[in-house]
Amino acid sequence: MTDTRPVTRSAPALASFALCLVGLLISAYLTYEHFTDSATLACSDNGAINCLKVTTSQWSEIAGVPVAVAGLAFFLAMTLLCAPTRFTREVGVLRLVGVVVGTVMVLWLVYVEIFKVDAICLWCTGVHVVTLLLLGTVLWWRESDRTPVESDRNPA
Amino acid sequence: MLISIGAPVLIVILIVVGFVVVKANQKPVAATGSPSTALDAAAAKSLGSIPAATFDTVGAGSGVSAPTAVTGAALTADGKPRVVYIGAEYCPFCAAQRWAVVAALSRFGTFTGLGATTSSSIDSYPSTATVSFHGATYTSSLLSFTGVEETTNIPVDASDISKGYTPLETPTAADQALVTTYDSQTGSIPFVDFGNKYVTIGASYLPTALKGLTQTQIIADLQNPGSDVAKGALGAANMMTAVLCKMTGNQPAAACSSTAVTSQKLPA
Repeated sequence: MTDTRPVTRSAPALASFALCLVGLLISAYLTYEHFTDSATLACSDNGAINCLKVTTSQWSEIAGVPVAVAGLAFFLAMTLLCAPTRFTREVGVLRLVGVVVGTVMVLWLVYVEIFKVDAICLWCTGVHVVTLLLLGTVLWWRESDRTPVESDRNPA
Repeated sequence: MLISIGAPVLIVILIVVGFVVVKANQKPVAATGSPSTALDAAAAKSLGSIPAATFDTVGAGSGVSAPTAVTGAALTADGKPRVVYIGAEYCPFCAAQRWAVVAALSRFGTFTGLGATTSSSIDSYPSTATVSFHGATYTSSLLSFTGVEETTNIPVDASDISKGYTPLETPTAADQALVTTYDSQTGSIPFVDFGNKYVTIGASYLPTALKGLTQTQIIADLQNPGSDVAKGALGAANMMTAVLCKMTGNQPAAACSSTAVTSQKLPA
């Protein structure tokens, strides 16, 4: 028996998938930066604070897992959950839980940047903005799925 | 529909705005700093005479980054191969790198007038104890050394660190050109050019093990090959010694024929 359900290609679904790919790229860059010591264990010559203070701080790891790696894993999971496949409707709840967990994590990290590290990393902020936008598009997607389409109301 | 989508997003934005407002109304943490002082004479003597056996026991150490091989006209001064260090007293990664540079170069000559300082109190690895090359001289029959500390650890404006730190020394145009030539992230420090044969950009090991230690404690740890300080700083020093031996034609033999040096695998 073949699965004939259509692949979801609604606007919120495509927007979510695109945001996941952007988040995946930025978090992959941050992970690369985290593990390439020689490139990162340096200061700027004028003393201006940059991403280093954030990415090398004691809060850059949680239980031994680098935050950058956790971010990469998050966007990898969300990319799979938002990928245009036949199973996107079945994983709607999981997708929502994922993006809510990601948003709570973002709030924690913003708190750490502002109150603990006292520095803002622009690349990290990029990831935070993408996660917030993803929250919006996943909620939009969920609402779209709830709204009955014409074909559902008048099945042939 | 608009409310069910917009409300959660708006709540998140309001929380972040709340963070920013609270932070903006907090009194900023003032950065502190002070001019470097003279390194204690006994500590300086101990730092300059780490036993060869200690270097050998540490060997490659742990967490040491390899230098980058470069090609350029031989960097010399007074007929000797020249090493150029460019850093700043505020910089925590320079703080780590100086221990390795001093330990390595002390196998080829003698430092006098080394300063004692700490990295910035509010940057990463805050207040890491270290030495300063400001006002120091290096004497060697085999090598020439120039150490430039571009700034102190004293902020220009204690309440606004984005204004940087007070200037201390300026590299010559020729030395600054080395940074421009070899540093793809132009301006990153610490920058060390080993005779235009190898460069290190950034610290060669993490400053983690130096946390909370004084200069005296760090120098004591450098005598102990089992300490984390020795594994990082002397591991990096052994790597640098191997580079320096390439520059001096493997002189002096006492340093260049040691197993910790001959076993180094430097990039071609």
